[in-house]
Amino acid sequence: MYQFNFQPVIQNLDLLLFGAWLTVRLSLMAMLFGLVVSVLGAVAKTSGIRPLRWLVDAYVEVIRNTPFLVQIFFIFFGLPAVGISMSPNTAALVALVVNVGAYGTEIIRAGIESIPRGQIEAGRALGLNPVQIFRYVVVKPALRNIYPSLTSQFIYLMLTSSVVSVISANDLASAGADLNARTFASFEIYLVLTVLYFLLALGFSTLFAAIRRVFFTYPAGR
Amino acid sequence: MQLNRRLFTTLAAGALAAGLAGPAAAADLAAIESAGTVKVGMLVDFPPFGIMDSAGQPDGYDADVAKALAEYLGVQPQIVPVTGPNRIPYLLSGQVDVLVASLGITEERAARVDFSDPYAGISIAVYGDAGLEIAGPEALSGQTVAVARASTQDTAVTEVAPADAQIRRFDDDASAVQALMSGQVRLIGASNVVMAQIGAAVGDRFDKKFDLSSQVQGIAVAPGSDALLEKVNAFVAEARGDGTLDEIHQKWLGEPLPDFVKNAE
Repeated sequence: MYQFNFQPVIQNLDLLLFGAWLTVRLSLMAMLFGLVVSVLGAVAKTSGIRPLRWLVDAYVEVIRNTPFLVQIFFIFFGLPAVGISMSPNTAALVALVVNVGAYGTEIIRAGIESIPRGQIEAGRALGLNPVQIFRYVVVKPALRNIYPSLTSQFIYLMLTSSVVSVISANDLASAGADLNARTFASFEIYLVLTVLYFLLALGFSTLFAAIRRVFFTYPAGR
Repeated sequence: MQLNRRLFTTLAAGALAAGLAGPAAAADLAAIESAGTVKVGMLVDFPPFGIMDSAGQPDGYDADVAKALAEYLGVQPQIVPVTGPNRIPYLLSGQVDVLVASLGITEERAARVDFSDPYAGISIAVYGDAGLEIAGPEALSGQTVAVARASTQDTAVTEVAPADAQIRRFDDDASAVQALMSGQVRLIGASNVVMAQIGAAVGDRFDKKFDLSSQVQGIAVAPGSDALLEKVNAFVAEARGDGTLDEIHQKWLGEPLPDFVKNAE
């Protein structure tokens, strides 16, 4: 019978919590910047300006058809060759933003395309200017339509961020691996890691549900 | 009753294990000389010490040493590929006469096999950009060092580095080396084996800053093969003295046989 020994985990809980805090910060920032990249990408794709569309298409296809591990290695180990050198944590953030931006672009594009032309014309008929139309008639309803897929992509992003330990960033998975290398209490450490990631995902879900209630439950009752 | 049965089972299992292990088969120098071949066990999955060449033949530092040893004994070498876990059983069961298998000399192993004087060694040290002045562990203050997570060098660097040195832990040597070569870090904790491969790729961009620890390797024979061991030791002494080992070391690891091997007892 395996003897559980949570002592190493309890003694080093601060290390794990510090790692978890970095995972949270990394994920939140990647979601925020990723959302901006996604909206810009989706706008460019639906804009009708061909060269712009081709550029975004190329970006989306390259990122969606290559492994995240390769992308992060390229950014951390490859880019210094052309003079772009980033710290592990910055490289991790950039890789996550670039990655989630590509998936988000497609998701938001689908949302924008789900808006019937008639709705935009209705906006015009109401005398809204193009910026107002874009903001209230296109983007907001579009985000509402694709909200579930976008947020599940974001949660997936948070889980994917565990990969960044390969470039020696100090996230939760990395803290777990370091602790494991020192204490060899693999079962206990990864059990606690599992619980922590699960709690983080649950936390993000709750946050997303709250945002949805505040911003996307209109008209009343929906 | 219960206890007796368990005792009996234990004794039976013990007797069986002892029987299977058998007495170590001592190698007879005269028999080797009359057969005209010496059976040498070596690793083939441990570059650059033991590898398979493109023709499927064992090659590497150990293979060259094995050939030199056979030449010294005046017989033909017959190289038998062994693996890390089974190399000592191969020797003790008499399937090979000697092991030139990168076997690190440790006390536990010395209790089971007889080691020659060291013929090779692996050392770990802090290496870095040639322009960087790092005299010792204290100079790591404020510097960033890459290591492979949970490796010997991770433990060693963590132990000696001051608190304000940053240790970046990568999943393996390859990633740590990548970080060094791409300029993400200027220092690395690594073995001379890994650094020899880097040296082959980028020349003298990096040099050794200070040593962390070292492990010497010996040629092993089965216990009781005293005449053979004496001859092997004479070979190691001669090969160290006349530059044979320097030459082989230069060929595979890019530098002459290190002093810590020559000076080791």
